[in-house]
Amino acid sequence: MTNILLVAAREFRQITAMRSFWFTLLILPLALAIGPLSAKFLNDDDTDRVMIVDHSGAGEAHSIEQRLSLDYERDLLSELSRHVQRYHLERADPAALWAQHDRWYSPADVASFRAAGGLDAALAKIKRVAPPDIPDFDPPERDFDLVATPAALVSVPEGQLDSALKPYLSPASKDRKPIDEVLLVPADFASTGAARLWARGQPDSTFVATLQDVLTRDLRTGFLKAHGLSPDAAEQASTIAPTLAISVPPPGGGARESMLVRSILPLAAAYLLMMSLILSGSWMLQGTVEERSNKLLETVLACVSPNELMYGKLLGTVAVGLSMVVAWVACGAIAGYATHGAIADMIRPAIAPLTSPVTIAALIYLFIVGYVAISVIFLAIGSMSDSMREAQGYLMPVMFLILIPITLLMQAIVGGSQSVAIEVITWVPIWTPFAVLARLGIGIPTWEVLATGLLLAIFTIVELILLGRVFRSSLLAQGQRPNLREVVARMRAAG
Amino acid sequence: MGVLSLDHVTKRFGKVVAVDDLSFDVAEGEVFGFLGGNGAGKTTSLRMVLDIIRPTSGRIEVLGRPPGRENAPAIGFLPEERGLYRQMTAIDTITYFGRLKGMTASDARKEGEALLDRFGLAANSGTTVDKLSKGMAQKVQLATAIVNRPRLLILDEPFSGLDPVNQGLLEEEIRRVSVAGATVVFSTHVMQHAERLCQKLLLLARGRKKFEGTLEQAREELPARLSVVARSSPMSLKGVESAEPRGSADDGWQEWDVRLAPGVRPADLLEHCTATGVPLRRFEERQASLHDVFVELVGRAEAQQ
Repeated sequence: MTNILLVAAREFRQITAMRSFWFTLLILPLALAIGPLSAKFLNDDDTDRVMIVDHSGAGEAHSIEQRLSLDYERDLLSELSRHVQRYHLERADPAALWAQHDRWYSPADVASFRAAGGLDAALAKIKRVAPPDIPDFDPPERDFDLVATPAALVSVPEGQLDSALKPYLSPASKDRKPIDEVLLVPADFASTGAARLWARGQPDSTFVATLQDVLTRDLRTGFLKAHGLSPDAAEQASTIAPTLAISVPPPGGGARESMLVRSILPLAAAYLLMMSLILSGSWMLQGTVEERSNKLLETVLACVSPNELMYGKLLGTVAVGLSMVVAWVACGAIAGYATHGAIADMIRPAIAPLTSPVTIAALIYLFIVGYVAISVIFLAIGSMSDSMREAQGYLMPVMFLILIPITLLMQAIVGGSQSVAIEVITWVPIWTPFAVLARLGIGIPTWEVLATGLLLAIFTIVELILLGRVFRSSLLAQGQRPNLREVVARMRAAG
Repeated sequence: MGVLSLDHVTKRFGKVVAVDDLSFDVAEGEVFGFLGGNGAGKTTSLRMVLDIIRPTSGRIEVLGRPPGRENAPAIGFLPEERGLYRQMTAIDTITYFGRLKGMTASDARKEGEALLDRFGLAANSGTTVDKLSKGMAQKVQLATAIVNRPRLLILDEPFSGLDPVNQGLLEEEIRRVSVAGATVVFSTHVMQHAERLCQKLLLLARGRKKFEGTLEQAREELPARLSVVARSSPMSLKGVESAEPRGSADDGWQEWDVRLAPGVRPADLLEHCTATGVPLRRFEERQASLHDVFVELVGRAEAQQ
């Protein structure tokens, strides 16, 4: 046993001393952190600065400004309502609009929200009932910021606006913020219906749609008034809209969303198992190939038996893999803590299926036995190869065999499928750990977990015996790379 | 007392007989040479002694026990094909192997540091193996073999690949462990090393034992050879098997390369010459080298391999 631990400790130290180990250990948390950040930067969701040059005299700039404010406040109200629903804060003011979640907020609702004191008043009420561990409400960013039109620009003749707007759209100084979109509503807009938009790039489609909507409504109102309709009737005809009732599952609720959320942790466990297995298995394989190619094995085998060497290597690799998983989980926990429990709260439904001791035991069992079952394949490949190039020849088909069904399985589970293929994959021992782990979220019968777990244990024992023989007989074997026939012969050879 | 004993040991790999009915004993404190050409079965025999492979038949006893890893604390082993973990430091490598041989970490490290100091590598103790020169790495490898102060040191072709300086260092270490009371078994096909170091020899050819004994006994296996300067051919003398002239005669005196018949001693011929009045100007016994013995016993073709 001491020798197994010594070999395992050396294996562990060798792998953790590699730069590639630390690189891959950090790359997952970094990718998870950089992903949202880069998405944030790439999405270009900064507020667009817009300006309106209104020569119409009909208050089009004011209409557009009102509409942009209305849209933002509707978004704000809607987000606040989701926040209240997620953290069950309706008791702060059950009659408030933000405590009602089944509607599309109308302009009247928004006006009422504004009249009741807006966001500040709502947050003050919520604060009185909100438990301390609930994160603060994060109001959405404004999509558009309406910049006041300089008086000098208003007086510029329309034909000269192209050149007059250049300093605003592309300022020479980097200190000056550019205007993203400029709208000209000409003096004859009411009669021609023509307006002009300058943009620094492709204009924002939401902004264009809003402009179309507001200007169309005003044109229609003018048209109806011109055709004898009273101003009030004309205004009503232009703004008439259906009242839309909306039913949306609560955050984390709903069949599809709920299933996805419940599958987050199990799928993550399956993914982490796959990642850490491939990485640590590859490093172990590299170490074994190094021992062979460096003619180290004879010296080692004079001190430890082939079985001790094999079990020591497996133990060291499992330790490396589990350390990686622990590090990744710790990073996740720290991220959860740093976001004031927002992530933890979001995945609370995901933790729900993992609260029973049986499930936790199954998770740990599948992780460790799955690790041994796959690692021993890497070990046998390493023992048969004199170089990494040679090892790749064996490794590629094995990797395909392991990874392709698992990738398909994960996609199927994310897609909500419960097909026969998933059942089949679950019962093939080499894929069992991944399949059962991934299915823990969407539900898998206990008897199936136990039966597949037992089958996996039997498979792993048989694998250890057969591949153990390959390992032992390959350690000091020389000559040509063994073909399948030779590998089978080594499996059949008595220890 | 026997430290190592092989009793009718045979090892087959499929149809190939690598070691054929081999028996020998090594006494405690002996430096035992295991000689043979390539493929003679030396490495296979040593691997069986170390339990790296098992014999097909026969019995092996090492330090009074069957071969096994439980003997590792008392054995030092330097294989023919050598290598070290490239990313481990010199001292960690020695400590690791010391620990695999049952030493405590502190003892192994202490002994490792002493060895590195003795080999002139104290300054490189913390250097990883991949940054050491080949000669330095060879010294580290030797240190891994003797870190546990073995009772039985097994060296498989220990001089192959060593530079002359390290060959000298290794010879010195072999003598040192021998003086300290350890038994040394080493295989080689370089006869000069065996001649200088071994108290007892075993000659192996195609897996079979050809000779076992001391260097003197080995020499006695060969017919005696003499360098004789006489006026007439010694061929007619009693006990002479062959006599070949060397060079040209000088004033009637000719040098002869004389080979005696098996079992005939040079002293017998000298006595015969004196008794029969055969005039001689030189009568010089030419001692056979181990190489001569090896070639004679193992076969010229194999010796040249």
